[in-house]
Amino acid sequence: MSTKSPTEADILRPIKNTSKTYFILFAVAALALGIFLVGWAYQLYEGMSVTGLSDWGTGGGVTWGLYIGAFIWWVGIAHGGIILSAAVRLLGMDRYMPVARLAEMLTLAGLSAAGFYIIVHMGRPDRMVTSVLGHYHITVNNSPLVWDVTVITAYFVLTATYLGLTLRYDITRMRDDLPEIFSPIYKVMTLGYTKEEDDVIERMVWWVALAIIIMAPLLLHGGVIPWLFALLSTYPGWFGAIQGPQFLTIALTSAISGVILISYAFRRAYDWDHIITDDVFRGLLLWLGFFCLLFLWLQLQQLVSGSFSPTTAHEAATASKLSHPAYIVPITMVLGVLAFIFATTIRPALFTKARAIAAAVLVLVATLVEKTYFVVAGLWYPAFNIYEATPGDYFPSLIEMSSVLGTIGLVTLFFLAISKVVPVVELHAVEHLRGDHGHGHEDETHEHESEPEVKA
Amino acid sequence: MSADDESFHPLGKEWESELETMLDDTEYDSDLGMEMAQDAMRVTKGELSEAEFHEKYHEDVMDEFGVDDRPTEEAYEAAQQEAKGTVGRMLDAFDGDGDQSRRETMKKMGVGAAVGLSAWGASAAPDASFGSTQEGDAADDDNDGLQWGMTIDLERCDGCLSCVSACSEENQLDQGVNWMYVLRHAEDGQTADDLGNHPAGGYENMLVRPCQHCTDAPCEKVCPTTARHTRDEDGLVLTDYDVCIGCRYCQVACPYGVNYFQWDEPDVAYEDIPSESDVLPDDLDPEDAVYSEYDDMGDRWVDGRAPRGVMSKCTMCPSHQDGRRGDEMVGMTACESACPPGAIQFGNVNDSASDPEKYASNPSRGRTLERLSLPSADEVEEELEDADGDDLEAVLDAVSFDGMGDDLVDNEHGLGILIALEITGEHMGEMGESEGTANLADYEQQVLDILEVVEDHGLDLGSQEVLADLRLADAPEEEEAEDENGDEDENGDEDEAEAEDDFEGPDEDDAQRLIEMFAGTAPSSFKLLEDFGTNPNIHYLGNEPGPNAEQVEGPVAYDSLELTDNRKDVLDDSTVTGGLY
Ligand code: SF4
Ligand code: SF4
Repeated sequence: MSTKSPTEADILRPIKNTSKTYFILFAVAALALGIFLVGWAYQLYEGMSVTGLSDWGTGGGVTWGLYIGAFIWWVGIAHGGIILSAAVRLLGMDRYMPVARLAEMLTLAGLSAAGFYIIVHMGRPDRMVTSVLGHYHITVNNSPLVWDVTVITAYFVLTATYLGLTLRYDITRMRDDLPEIFSPIYKVMTLGYTKEEDDVIERMVWWVALAIIIMAPLLLHGGVIPWLFALLSTYPGWFGAIQGPQFLTIALTSAISGVILISYAFRRAYDWDHIITDDVFRGLLLWLGFFCLLFLWLQLQQLVSGSFSPTTAHEAATASKLSHPAYIVPITMVLGVLAFIFATTIRPALFTKARAIAAAVLVLVATLVEKTYFVVAGLWYPAFNIYEATPGDYFPSLIEMSSVLGTIGLVTLFFLAISKVVPVVELHAVEHLRGDHGHGHEDETHEHESEPEVKA
Repeated sequence: MSADDESFHPLGKEWESELETMLDDTEYDSDLGMEMAQDAMRVTKGELSEAEFHEKYHEDVMDEFGVDDRPTEEAYEAAQQEAKGTVGRMLDAFDGDGDQSRRETMKKMGVGAAVGLSAWGASAAPDASFGSTQEGDAADDDNDGLQWGMTIDLERCDGCLSCVSACSEENQLDQGVNWMYVLRHAEDGQTADDLGNHPAGGYENMLVRPCQHCTDAPCEKVCPTTARHTRDEDGLVLTDYDVCIGCRYCQVACPYGVNYFQWDEPDVAYEDIPSESDVLPDDLDPEDAVYSEYDDMGDRWVDGRAPRGVMSKCTMCPSHQDGRRGDEMVGMTACESACPPGAIQFGNVNDSASDPEKYASNPSRGRTLERLSLPSADEVEEELEDADGDDLEAVLDAVSFDGMGDDLVDNEHGLGILIALEITGEHMGEMGESEGTANLADYEQQVLDILEVVEDHGLDLGSQEVLADLRLADAPEEEEAEDENGDEDENGDEDEAEAEDDFEGPDEDDAQRLIEMFAGTAPSSFKLLEDFGTNPNIHYLGNEPGPNAEQVEGPVAYDSLELTDNRKDVLDDSTVTGGLY
């Protein structure tokens, strides 16, 4: 643990310095995105037949696959970021203040990636606006897909507002140190700023945070996203009330993992050991363990209720889970992560940052595979399973697989770009760490180590 | 049942209160309706006689509905006959004159009272469900508007795939896009070898699967664009190819797996649809093959193979139903006209005169009409010219009715069946109001024409003797029989006279039996996955596949007709795998 005191210069470093690694990372991310864009262009040119998808029923395949799995995955990642940040504000979880803004940014990036997937998944993306908006007043009454688009948009707007409001404070104060070329952006962002507004903004942000923290679990990942599936009684693998909580726990595991990875990357790149402390990682890891536990617990519920005395179709769906690697492997991975985190609480020495990173990566891979399996296997085992071609086959095409790398590249580029324009750590966090708010961070560290779960 | 709860109705309290609500919605006195329904139940249970029932309500009914001039004594007499209190008879008693049909009376009384009274029937058949009561009413009531649908007789399907082929030709579908799909299935532990022919002429365990054009279509509900919609005017569930964004949620939400996405450029270009198709006239404007008129929205592209990137499925040929291709194609689909055994009956399922409703209400009769190869009336007339007289024997000698169907035992049966078809026909020769063509109505008309020729020749087909010889009525009683019976001498003459006068025409049961002997019966019928609340508009005759049923090899292979069964075989060719997997 560093004893350096955080300064404004620290949080300005990403804006002011650009290393070779930055350019390399930028190039790699752009390449990943580029490869996918080429693949997508080919898909637009040839048609969706370039994917591994087909029709379910007599068509021997599934009509939703990796694109939809990855869509849910990104919404999940996006989801937790802002919840974490809202929790900092509402529940006083100050320890995470240094990563709160990164988490908010992850939300915007994740939602963008998810939105991109909606378009990529579509047969006629050119009609998105005319067909969807043109009939919105009718379709919003019935179509869970329209609910999804609505809530995701609302969520994006709320998060952007939230971020924008909190940035006004920082930008005004650091305006002189910020690069001149972006001044038009800063001007717009700080339009009409006065010192007196700080309190008002603080209160507004609090309300927005409240809206987010209520809306996210109830509407987004515990609501409209699982409802895409859970409302369809003809798919035993999907149907039922448990998908709300199940999706939410999966989303939170992936979101925390995402925050761990992003925070670690910034800490490493800009020597922020004294800002994003080990303590943050310990805390995040504990939360990750908690949500992994819920994740697995709800999976267990599904396995038990799907095995004890299921309907014929439900039995087939459960049997597939118990035998398909795309289910067994991710569940084992999450179980492993949970075991590790549990072990670190008994023997804190087992914690290392490398292991925390590994845990986060495992969870992210596991949730992506599990979500894709969930989508695909639902369609494999419908109630009407008479067709010889049902369950069908599915293996994603190279273009579909490249979309995952492409969207990761997109999110990386988003962070690389935004970190050049605005501070990714709040000025408040620095002030807080310096003890401007009345308590030093040594005390905190001490408390956290003895009773991390309570404080977390 | 009602005995041990407070509800008078065998379907229980809940149903009763529903009934009450329905009654409240009609313009007539709901208390009266409920009371009548309640007493109707008492009549069934024997607590009240029919005469008492009529006595009690005569005045009320007069006040309320303005009919009921039938004397109560008559009702008493009716009750005296071995009464099987049916709703129909009870209601008939209120009929003013022959003109006012029972249906009209029921309508006048309002649905609630009518359905309430039909509880009566339900108590006789304890397992009659609310659903079937309701269905019965819907079939009876032609007022529900046009809803295209089908009755599919699975026991007549021989798996020839003619319908699949015809659909594919009509719509110029890509390989593997099987809007119409026919499969054979086996239950757990069975194989294709365990399955054989069905006595009705098809194969066992067939399933013919078009889109069910559900009244409560989940596919429509989930669509984010309204591209998937139900046409108000005729209940068809269609996709507007110009609006669909290809999200495929409809395919996901449909429980039946009938949707086919257009994953890439269709094989046949739009302008080539008519010329490439074997069944469309080459000079047809493609627009007349694929566009459809809407009352409120003008023309929409909803038929034929889909363009790239949008969803498609069986459409039930709206281009036919709209009359764009001539009136004679209204009420017909490509698959229906292609099906050799006539297993597919398309029409307005809300009209009891339509093919599907005629067929479903009496499958034996429907099968008979489809199976007979009827001679033309002219042929029969010609044959009759050489007849040796105008009695039954002479007619049967002259005309070979046994040529109509291979299973016919002899000529007598042949003529008998024709008469039986007329006896059992409720809408002989009629078709549904909205239809321009109807197979069964055509066949019925042919039957009528033949019978007319025979009658014109001089044979009285309504006479008891002829009908008795054809086993469609009891033989007239003979004098000796009475004479021998000393005890009844007194009344003998009267009886005889009565018998002559009272010949009430042919025996419907005998007629039905004759038809059933020829074509068999279809004891079970079902709608597919009805418990998911989709309200499908395909009515199947035959056995419903069990929960463990699995498709097995069918009698005819898809590729033998240049069709593709599993579309993935085609689509896999364009999947980008880099040759790695
Ligand atoms: S079967 Fe029903 S749910 Fe399926 S596509 Fe047809 S109308 Fe829609
Ligand atoms: S694929 Fe087309 S018709 Fe089907 S739900 Fe999506 S927009 Fe509607």
